[in-house]
Amino acid sequence: MTDQVVHDSLDQDPPTAPTGMAPPSVGRPNARFARLVPNTVLIVAALFFTLPLLALARFALQNVPTILLGWSTLFDKWSLEPMGRAFSDDVFWASLRLSLKLAFGTVLLTMLLLLPTAIWVHLRLPRMRPVIEFVTVLPYMIPAIALVAGIKLIKPHARWFLNSDMSLIPFYVVLALPFTYRSIDAGLRAIDLRTLVDASRSLGSGWLGTIRRVLIPNLRTAIISASFLTAAVVMGEYTIARLLLIDSLAPYQRILVGRDSQAGYGLNLLALLATTSLFVVVSVLTKKRDRKRKSFAYAAAKQASSQEHHPE
Amino acid sequence: MTETLVVKGGRTDGASPSARRNFAWIGVVPFFAFLFLFLIVPAISVFWNAFDTDKGFSVSAMKEAISGQNRDAFWFSVRFSAGSAAVGVIFGTLLAYAAATATRPRWLRSTVTSFSGVAANMGGLPLAFMFLALLGRQGLLTKVLSAAGLDLYGGDFELGSELGLISVYSYFNIPLMVLITLPALDGLKPAWREACANLGGTSFTYWWRVGLPVLAPSLLGGFLLLFANSFSAYATAAVLTQNSMIVSQRIGFFLGGDVSIGENAVGFSLAAWMIIIMAISMGLYWIARRRAERWQS
Repeated sequence: MTDQVVHDSLDQDPPTAPTGMAPPSVGRPNARFARLVPNTVLIVAALFFTLPLLALARFALQNVPTILLGWSTLFDKWSLEPMGRAFSDDVFWASLRLSLKLAFGTVLLTMLLLLPTAIWVHLRLPRMRPVIEFVTVLPYMIPAIALVAGIKLIKPHARWFLNSDMSLIPFYVVLALPFTYRSIDAGLRAIDLRTLVDASRSLGSGWLGTIRRVLIPNLRTAIISASFLTAAVVMGEYTIARLLLIDSLAPYQRILVGRDSQAGYGLNLLALLATTSLFVVVSVLTKKRDRKRKSFAYAAAKQASSQEHHPE
Repeated sequence: MTETLVVKGGRTDGASPSARRNFAWIGVVPFFAFLFLFLIVPAISVFWNAFDTDKGFSVSAMKEAISGQNRDAFWFSVRFSAGSAAVGVIFGTLLAYAAATATRPRWLRSTVTSFSGVAANMGGLPLAFMFLALLGRQGLLTKVLSAAGLDLYGGDFELGSELGLISVYSYFNIPLMVLITLPALDGLKPAWREACANLGGTSFTYWWRVGLPVLAPSLLGGFLLLFANSFSAYATAAVLTQNSMIVSQRIGFFLGGDVSIGENAVGFSLAAWMIIIMAISMGLYWIARRRAERWQS
């Protein structure tokens, strides 16, 4: 097999190939032997990361008790049906609806809060950026299990608010903050914010118009990424929902396993696939943006140099 | 493009920077107010209740939360979290190195990166069910091993044991470490290796004198992040096991009202201690990351 035959749609530009690592050829006559350890690591890792997935898939999709499982029954009774068995349960739809509402609300509130703040900090308070960055890591220091203890404590003082299931939204905004801020921040770094804002403002647009018509389209990738990450966090959130006895999707996933384990495993597999595809979309989008940005910067530089020679 | 011209054309602001700067902080007030209300207030109330016992302000509950069974729980949790972080650091770095140096299939590196991005955020229920399906009492691998004559559950193995938790948490810890180490490995300039070789250094000299010292902040930072990650995980462990030696589970039991009401303050003291431990490890992580970034530009 030659190197050139293998292609991948995600990685076609040589410039992003590893730069810093020493080429194995330097001073290494037995390069083949030197690859022994790394290759073993890769193979073991591949096994470690796929086997649990396959096991989950088997329990979800094959209706054969483990005791009876053997070479002769290995391919018996596989079916996609258990994955959808939850769909006939009204409680499932109620929990899904609630989780979708929470996810939507969390995305909306995150954007309302974070976009203006991040733009403002980049434009007017660049020296505050490390502070904001640090603050957005605070949710790591106060993990969900500790946060929910606090929520339980303040609940008696704010029943009118905390008795509603939707009151989880601001807390989910906080939980997702490390993801969302990093994503928006990366988006803002990728564009020439000051120039865009100045151009828009000097053409007579107000702040809202600038955000709506100039910044949001330019931050599309970052906004979509942040939204998807938030949705993934909220749809899978178990700790807070469980301990506050809120019937969202993740607690239901567990209850279902107790009631009908195959349907439960099926639903968990489905949830896993859904979350994974959200993350994959995010990583593809981000890669696309970074590549576009690179080629755009190149084109801009080229144009700038040509304009130096032929000023209009 | 016109953008480049505008850059040269100059900026419209900056005419009166001092006048602007005076009020610029108002723009971030809503954000900080929000965080204060929904993150800091709950945290403060946890501490408030940890110290506010029926005898008034007292450290007795905080003391009780780290004595007897609770101390055993903290010790167990620190042990499995450190173990799982160590496994994550070692295998994550090896995997990152293997992916970064592999030249053969060109898609390998991007596959490892993309997969790590997904798996590092894997947690919660599906992860627990994946490992129950693989290593639970009825699990696939358990079955295969017993067919090979090895009884996994013959000893004191359990998914909630130290070894069990380390294997499960490695599923997100190793990929997280890959994401941390890959940029750090890219920061190692080939020129350094050549320089080392020119000065007569062996591969060992290079790693001992150059590679490891440069990587050290990343490795240390990774360890702290992975430790914090494992220590605070609740959902996965809650499905895997009833083990009350896991601090996060213990807090959950107290909050769920599984114990008599009198001990309530201890539950909040446990949560307070958890916040303290998380704050220390994340604070140190923050410092280590700053150091690590020095070589990564």
